[in-house]
Amino acid sequence: MKPILRAVGLTKVYGSDGVSTPALRGVDLEVLPGEFTAIVGPSGSGKSTLLHILGCLDKPSSGETYLGERRTDQLDPVSSARLRLQEIGFVFQAYNLIPVLSALENAAFVLELRGVPKKVREEKAMQALEALGIADLAHRRPNQLSGGQQQRVAVARALAAEPQVILADEPTANLDSQSGLSLIELMKRLNVERGMTFLFSTHDPRLLEHVTRIVRLEDGRVVSDERVNAA
Amino acid sequence: MWALAWRNVWRHKARSIVTAGAVAVVVIFTLVFFSFTQATKTGMMEVLTNDFGHLQVKSARAKDAQDFDASLLRGAAELEAALLEELPGVRMARVLEVPALVSGETRSRGVLVIGLKQDPTLRERFELEYLAAGRLPSPGSLDEIALGEALARTLHLDIGDPVYVFAPGTEGWGASAYVLVGILKFPQASYEGKVAYLSLEGAQELAAPGAVTRFEVHLGAGRGVPREEEIHRVKERLTSVLGAGVSVETWREASPDLAAILDLMDPAMVVFSFFIFVLAGLLVVNTIYLGLVERIREFGVMIAVGADRWRVMRMIFAESLVLVLAGSAVGLAVSGVCIAWMSRGVAFPGLDEALAEFGLPAVLYPSVTLQQVAITMAFTIATALLAALWPAWVAGRLQPVEAMRHVA
Repeated sequence: MKPILRAVGLTKVYGSDGVSTPALRGVDLEVLPGEFTAIVGPSGSGKSTLLHILGCLDKPSSGETYLGERRTDQLDPVSSARLRLQEIGFVFQAYNLIPVLSALENAAFVLELRGVPKKVREEKAMQALEALGIADLAHRRPNQLSGGQQQRVAVARALAAEPQVILADEPTANLDSQSGLSLIELMKRLNVERGMTFLFSTHDPRLLEHVTRIVRLEDGRVVSDERVNAA
Repeated sequence: MWALAWRNVWRHKARSIVTAGAVAVVVIFTLVFFSFTQATKTGMMEVLTNDFGHLQVKSARAKDAQDFDASLLRGAAELEAALLEELPGVRMARVLEVPALVSGETRSRGVLVIGLKQDPTLRERFELEYLAAGRLPSPGSLDEIALGEALARTLHLDIGDPVYVFAPGTEGWGASAYVLVGILKFPQASYEGKVAYLSLEGAQELAAPGAVTRFEVHLGAGRGVPREEEIHRVKERLTSVLGAGVSVETWREASPDLAAILDLMDPAMVVFSFFIFVLAGLLVVNTIYLGLVERIREFGVMIAVGADRWRVMRMIFAESLVLVLAGSAVGLAVSGVCIAWMSRGVAFPGLDEALAEFGLPAVLYPSVTLQQVAITMAFTIATALLAALWPAWVAGRLQPVEAMRHVA
């Protein structure tokens, strides 16, 4: 099976005031379609940086990245944006919903950016909200939702667009234990039922019980990569 | 995008209301000033054309003429017949201007004696506006005269007194005695001290039998000035009919200084509006930029999920347009009501004489043209777009990862 995401010799060095801080020091990684992969490691190990580069949100200092067969590390900002819009779903730690839009409108936002007609995008967004069990909250604004509900809307936003892969940066970090567990089970269900590929960074040990693969990063290097809990 | 822009604009209601309100005030200010400029222009043109006509038919040599003879149109009756044949029913004044010495019992002054024969409606208006006491010399009378009030005062003359006029070097009798029948009061005191009015026939008998200095042709009827194109069309017709030796001038050509002042009013108003829109634009920049800074994380998320820089920039422009157009809509509505109300006529009690001194009527009728509304709207849209330029440029350069980490 060909990998859906691939990193080859990836390095990233942040520089500020003449001080260079390496975040990634030669990461090689392949993610296969349908995998439910966690990237773990202590703070500062490069988890978020790796996700951002693989998701075309940031550029590596050196190395190559691929989405399917397509090389992505050299794309210009407009092509990167187009690729993210069409192929990649994102879920962020801080939910990052748009406060003036309802849950339904937030879930439909990526489809709106794609130019999908209103009726079609709202149908798809509603289906995503239903899949996440929050259809009854469709017309509430983010400030009328709990943290767990907001994170579900964020997942619905990624899900409604039917991307090839969903990248999630510490998706349960801001949730209470019950909401976090619920979200983990939900993502796992989408992975199993729809074969969606998930790659996420986490500190949450509960999440690791559901993953099929754990990639451990330390000081910007992959120190272990093991397949577990095979479905 | 527009719905999102609308909601974003009202996230900070107070700030947006203040900014939109400022735009509304600027739009009201601009349109009301435009309407008064228009009223002033129309009023000045009306005053001028009421007094001197829309077109003047003169001797072709009159412009550079230094002597009385060269300024005369001879064969006035034939010319008048030709004029009326070309423009049947047109209102007209026949004028003969004679430089002369006017004397009372004890004093004399050099003045311009004006022989005047007007169609009835023009005569009625002249009488209504300028006659202060007595009456105008009767049409065709050879021994009646009216003087400007200041002149009568200078000469120590009153109604019923004898007045002696000497017009040496002219072709008529050159001297004659009249009875003062009327006192005229003009807005310009200097003019009032230098004019005396006779009937046309009286002036012709005194100085130039069968001649006039000019015909003043009044086009249209009622309030308002005929369109420039119409005036020029009539000028062309008269020029071809009356032939060489006769010059036809529009009111603009006859009064180039005033025409230049009137032509400068709109451009001056546009420049003035430009500066007040610049001030409004600075407020809009502030509001839009603050809105951007407070929502950098949001813009970061939008970029992260796939909005490209042009999309983000369009959102900023949309917010600026929504904000400014909301203010403009209020401004248009309020100024529309104000101008509609004022268009029935605005008087300035106590300032009649001051207005008249500047060639303005006592009542102004403010109105705006579609072009002026279009200029105002163009300014508002330009303000919105220019005010959004910098915030949009900043937003378009945001890097998603940095933007999502931003702390306002």
